[in-house]
Amino acid sequence: MSASADVRAVLSEKSLVQRLSSGTRGTVRALLRNKAGFLGFLGVMFFIILTTLGPLVIPYEGDPRLDRLRPGARSLFAPPSVEHPLGLDVKGRDVLSHIVHGGGPLILTALEAGILTTIVAVALGAAAGLLGGFIDQIISAASNFILTIPQFPLLLVLATIVTFDNRLGMALLLAVLNWPTLMRAVRAQVMSLKSRDYVEAAFALDLGLWHITTREVLPNMISYIVVNMIFTIRSAMYFIIALMFLGLVPLTEPDWGMMIFIGKQQGSLSNPEAAWMLLAPVLAIALFQLSLVLFTRSLEEVFNPRLRQGV
Amino acid sequence: MSTAQRAPLVELKHVDRFFRKGNATLKVLQDINLNVYPNEILCLVGESGCGKTTTGKIIAGLLNHSGGEVNVQGRPLASYSDRREKAHLRRTFQIVHQDPFASLNPSHTIAKILSFPLLRHKMVKNRTELAARLLELLELVDLTPPQDILNKYPHQLSGGQRQRVSIARALTVQPKLIVADEAVSMVDVSIRIGILKMLLRLKEELDIAIVFITHDLALAKYFAWQGRIAVMYLGRIVEIGRTPDVIGNPAHPYTRALLAAVPEADPDVTRAKEEMPLRSEDIPGLLNIPHGCAFHPRCPFFVPGLCDAEVPKLAVARGFNQEAACAPLELGLPLTTYAG
Amino acid sequence: MRKLIRSYTFRTVVQGLITIWAVMTFTFFLIRLMPGNPAQIKIDEYVDRYGMSEDQARQQVATLFNYDPDQPVFEQYVDYLSDLVRFDLGRSLTSTETPVAEQILRFLPWTLFSVGLALLVAFSLGVLVGLAMAYWRGGLLDNVMTVFASVIYAIPDYIIALLLIMVAGVQLKLIPVGELYGGSTQGIEPGFTVEYILDLLKHAFLPVFTYVLATIGGWMLTMKSSTISTLGEDYITVARARGLPERRLLTAYVGRNAMLPLMTRLAISIGFVVGGSAIIETLFLYPGLGRNLVLAIGLRDYTTMQGIFLVIAISVVVSNILADLLYGWLDPRVRLGGDKGTE
Repeated sequence: MSASADVRAVLSEKSLVQRLSSGTRGTVRALLRNKAGFLGFLGVMFFIILTTLGPLVIPYEGDPRLDRLRPGARSLFAPPSVEHPLGLDVKGRDVLSHIVHGGGPLILTALEAGILTTIVAVALGAAAGLLGGFIDQIISAASNFILTIPQFPLLLVLATIVTFDNRLGMALLLAVLNWPTLMRAVRAQVMSLKSRDYVEAAFALDLGLWHITTREVLPNMISYIVVNMIFTIRSAMYFIIALMFLGLVPLTEPDWGMMIFIGKQQGSLSNPEAAWMLLAPVLAIALFQLSLVLFTRSLEEVFNPRLRQGV
Repeated sequence: MSTAQRAPLVELKHVDRFFRKGNATLKVLQDINLNVYPNEILCLVGESGCGKTTTGKIIAGLLNHSGGEVNVQGRPLASYSDRREKAHLRRTFQIVHQDPFASLNPSHTIAKILSFPLLRHKMVKNRTELAARLLELLELVDLTPPQDILNKYPHQLSGGQRQRVSIARALTVQPKLIVADEAVSMVDVSIRIGILKMLLRLKEELDIAIVFITHDLALAKYFAWQGRIAVMYLGRIVEIGRTPDVIGNPAHPYTRALLAAVPEADPDVTRAKEEMPLRSEDIPGLLNIPHGCAFHPRCPFFVPGLCDAEVPKLAVARGFNQEAACAPLELGLPLTTYAG
Repeated sequence: MRKLIRSYTFRTVVQGLITIWAVMTFTFFLIRLMPGNPAQIKIDEYVDRYGMSEDQARQQVATLFNYDPDQPVFEQYVDYLSDLVRFDLGRSLTSTETPVAEQILRFLPWTLFSVGLALLVAFSLGVLVGLAMAYWRGGLLDNVMTVFASVIYAIPDYIIALLLIMVAGVQLKLIPVGELYGGSTQGIEPGFTVEYILDLLKHAFLPVFTYVLATIGGWMLTMKSSTISTLGEDYITVARARGLPERRLLTAYVGRNAMLPLMTRLAISIGFVVGGSAIIETLFLYPGLGRNLVLAIGLRDYTTMQGIFLVIAISVVVSNILADLLYGWLDPRVRLGGDKGTE
């Protein structure tokens, strides 16, 4: 019978494998399609490699290097040279070594904060949107409440109460402050998806709330969620650096934010010689944030099945 | 026809449905009395906003009613308290939506869309059975060759193909009733007849009742010739009966107006048609439903003091086989054009 | 009366009042959880700076303060609330007994002026450029401006400020940064004189320029995408087919309708004008409310913090209500309310 042959064809692993491989190829193609997005991807990769593999190559200089004081010079600052591509800082230390070693903790904290925020926001947004009623009212009221308090001053106050001896504490605090915006967006999306015909059909087929949430509603929000997670990571980084900037978190070196704070403290903001010590972290932060934003464009293409598979 | 002898699948008794909108209450459905029998075809016809979709969703169990009584398979809906019983009940009634672009989840393949209900309700024992059932379902809805369809995403199919997948999905749970909500209105005209014929075939082969919702009387006439038609206007049923009776000898002035507006392919027939000018083109909103018969401000046969006094009841008038809600007809008055 | 209670506007206002009260209460207790209290910080300062003994400093501070750190927090709260209903925000704990209301009134104009001006400039420029970008889509202007907007949008405001200071100020010496710190130059008599106004503008330049750069990209991109979707609408095609002059089409039809979604965002932004930007004001030593709040937090000046948090919360709530009403008023579909059913 040909029918059983058809059954075997459907069951054959080959077609499954084929689909998987075309999936990976599709991902690569989607990554390459958007030029700005690809540039962002390269930028993000660059910083990840710089801060993870870089420390293995470039040793960290933590102690002052008074021996590097050049005869006749008034300070230890030095412009870029062959030995020190990014110059020397106020204590005569290699700026490049601080850039390489000082990005990791910052990026990791921001990443943790971003992931935590996204989890909280998606869970609460989905609950509010799907369940509605009383739960929705509570969650919405809480988000309105947090959005009404000026975020940065609130963070300043909280930063003095909670001491950040670990990264996770900081990430958690940022998540508490940052979830409302994304939650609102997720809630609106869920509400609109909830009234889609295919969700109604899933209710009619009695597929269950868990299935409807995880298989019918969330997959259509993945690109949206991932893009917004990137934006939360970005805003977490903004707040962490801002806190360091005002000297409100325990000062630990090496850290990009710390480099700016120390530079500012030493009055080097107006000192032309100090430019390299300050410009290096400032540009690193600016470029990393820019890369993140550009990267989201590629992510949109990767996660959107309609953009990805040609008709 | 012996359908009417079987006990009804669904009985709506004096069913109301209200929606709150800001401070106002929209009376979307009022006093709906309707039975759906096994293996019958029932057409709900009316203009947009008349409540036909809401009625369909209440029948399918997707929407709660605000007032009145809904009996399912001879028992009040409220008496189904057991969760499993309720779940099973829900699966017995399925819906096919109007928009084939919105009714399938864009992020799953057709195989997945059809597998979810089969696996969830353990309707297949293993992968071999699943694959066989998938192929069988696609063949049922004339999607051939089926293995080409299975690995595709909804956006890779045409509108007609999607609508067939939608029907196949409804069939996965072996329903007794399918509500087809404008199921072919967004499909190309050339493909409509094929889908309608397939629905009629499925009804016979699988012993399914079909509630067919449409605004197009011509379509209703074609599809439900063996069944019944209920004409709705502003949240009420104004005429209900066997299709040949309603189409061939319409009783309610609104049904007559609808029929007069159906264009015919033959221009001579169209020209020879009796014209029926309405007194007003405006359809009143649900917020200010006219007193008495809701159709009276537009009705050419308006009788002052009678039509605008009380809501007319459905009744069989002399010279008709179907029920209509029209006060002058019920009293046996001749319908004469209102001059005022 | 019943109608009033059930009306949407009334409910919104009551909700807003409840939010303001909740924020007020929350911040009241939160700031008292901060380590240290204003008296202790002052005592430490005297000990450090003037070499007083602990006891001496304590006596000195006690004469300055009417704050009793030993009073139960809940009693303080009740006192504060009873003052508040008489519109009394209390007195600052640090800056020699100035009433908080007076203090807020002194710092608020700087913030309103700088942030308000920046919002005005960024919004109008952004909307104009965004409209042009969408209209000549794919052209040189669009390409250059899209890159510019995306880049500028992605960079944090304080990084922009630092780059301004370091590159334009210190390295290239384009801007005399040193002269521009603060709110106005000392010695220039405040008044309605050309000299004073020019001086104000000069000092506001750095923060305003930073705010504009930090926000204009967002306005441009939003306006562009909103305009593009408006250009696709049927009524635009019809107006064009009618032979309407392109210029009028762009201003009266496209621009007007494309701006609708931006207006609500503008109203919400207005709410944040009052708070200003703590970090930018700190960086440029600009005497606004934001910087004052940071200073108050450092000094644990409870009443000042309370007052500023309250003012900001009120402005955010009010602007949200305004945005809500504005949306209904601008969009006739919402204003008139469709009376069609939910078919």
